[in-house]
Amino acid sequence: MPAELGTPGRGIIRKLMTYLAFFCLLFWVGFPVYYMMITSFMKSPELGARPPHWIPQQPTLDNYADVVFGDARQRGSSGGVNSFSRMMPALLNSTIVSFTVVLLNLLIGGMAAYGFSRFDFRLSRFAYLGVLMTRVLPALSLIVPLFIILRKAGLINTLWALIFTYTIFILPLTIWILREYFDTLARDIEEMALIDGATRWQAFWMVVAPLAVPGLIAVGVMSFMEAWSEFFFALTLTNSLTYPPLLMSYRNLATVNWNGLAAATIVGVLPPVTVAFVFQRYLVRGLSEGAVKG
Amino acid sequence: MASARIDRETAQRRKHWDRKWIPYALLAPALITILIVIISPLLTTIYYSFSNVDLIFNRTTFIGLENYQELFTSRLFWKAIEINLKFAAIVVIVPTLMGLFFALLLVEDFIGRGIGRTLLILPWALPWIVIGLLWNWLVNAQFGAINGLLYSLGLIDKYIPFMADEDWALIFTALASAWRQTSFSAILLLAALQTIPEDLYDAAKVDGAGLRARFRFITFAWIRPTLTIVLLYNIVLGFLQFDAVWIMTQGGPGDATMLLSVLLYRETFINFDLGMGAAVSNVLGLITLGVGLFFVRLTYRSQAAYA
Repeated sequence: MPAELGTPGRGIIRKLMTYLAFFCLLFWVGFPVYYMMITSFMKSPELGARPPHWIPQQPTLDNYADVVFGDARQRGSSGGVNSFSRMMPALLNSTIVSFTVVLLNLLIGGMAAYGFSRFDFRLSRFAYLGVLMTRVLPALSLIVPLFIILRKAGLINTLWALIFTYTIFILPLTIWILREYFDTLARDIEEMALIDGATRWQAFWMVVAPLAVPGLIAVGVMSFMEAWSEFFFALTLTNSLTYPPLLMSYRNLATVNWNGLAAATIVGVLPPVTVAFVFQRYLVRGLSEGAVKG
Repeated sequence: MASARIDRETAQRRKHWDRKWIPYALLAPALITILIVIISPLLTTIYYSFSNVDLIFNRTTFIGLENYQELFTSRLFWKAIEINLKFAAIVVIVPTLMGLFFALLLVEDFIGRGIGRTLLILPWALPWIVIGLLWNWLVNAQFGAINGLLYSLGLIDKYIPFMADEDWALIFTALASAWRQTSFSAILLLAALQTIPEDLYDAAKVDGAGLRARFRFITFAWIRPTLTIVLLYNIVLGFLQFDAVWIMTQGGPGDATMLLSVLLYRETFINFDLGMGAAVSNVLGLITLGVGLFFVRLTYRSQAAYA
């Protein structure tokens, strides 16, 4: 690693500046997250304390219990509407949607990327550019015609509406990244397999796909994150079936149970955060390839 | 003999199939679905912007440029443009500079670097809805962390209702977006920094290049393409951000955080003026497309210059 890049000076001063900068990073990222975390372990009276308790004085897991078991122990708030009973089903729905999106996206996007990479036919350049253009569109603006199409198909307020929409909106990025990836894989091995009598299909599955696994993981992880996090389509196409719009609906209640909301938020971000940490390496690679190869 | 001929025939047929149909078969699912779900709504939106869409009687009448005329003469539109430019300025400047700062830090060798790199991913891993909620927490007037911190340090003796103030509301919604985008920028820049070959620095040192020169001619030159892309992404986000702002302020207080995207939402889903909403979205689309094309040209030109 080049040890020469940013900070000037040497020895102790350099070290001091490095740790000062490190502290800035810890504070910038950590402070907002830390505050939400301690809120989730507090009971509501403690939240209003001034000066605030930076460490909860009577830590409790009640908020998490409320989220996981519905509203069984909801205390002192407006009852039914404020319950978290829809939270676990919503998390399950989010899981179903995300995994289906990942699979469909890899299948359809992988096929198209392979096609773009290996065959240079007349339409391919045009179609490829078209695919890329879709990335700068305000998705917000497509919602009304999209809603009409999905209503005609009878998919409004179903998980399929989200699965279709997410898969197709992520496709351009997938095709972009995987095409670059396939381009770097040596064609020679594949050609050899073809000469040896393998069909295209066999050549793809036995030669190309195994080599492309890191690229496929990167794309899979990114589409998981996107599908788990998407808010606007979920808000307009369904009645809060998944986690993001449901979270928003708790926020909009007249009496917000802030501590419960904090716990619900944290439970719901565990999957994407875990995925991001576990697949850090692939993610960084996918991100920078997807972004830089423009 | 016969079987050899059949083999040859199958092989030929297969080759023919290979060349003629496989590419289309591979692309068809992706292209057809993109056509239905992205391109056709896009064309519809463009058509809507020249129409008066009557939802009650389900009638769409072509009215030419009327929506655009109305839009360009409305005060709110120009206010939204002004607000959006300020918002975008923060969302471009803060993440780009801080992202570069953190990337330069995390390429250094020090204890804690691993923690730093992992922590860096965290904001990026959070959904925009959670970013909005998180920053609501920070700026809340009753129990917000920023108020709490200032109070604990003795800098204020009364909590400040930040989001009731027009300027603070805009600044904090922009900072919320910048918070996540800083991580994204830093991740990309860090990845670029890690690919710089160490020899370059050694060679430059031998040639007597100072620290400044080394930064400018090696580090900066090397990451410039990535920096351009980071800028592009940040600018596009500056204009397309909706989720986090909607969660935090819904465009308020007053119209203080009325970004173009919020205006688009309001026209479409609150005023139910689909034609006007479509006009706003086309303006927005043209802005981001223009920015995108400008940067693509810039990248190609700088690549050509290096080649």
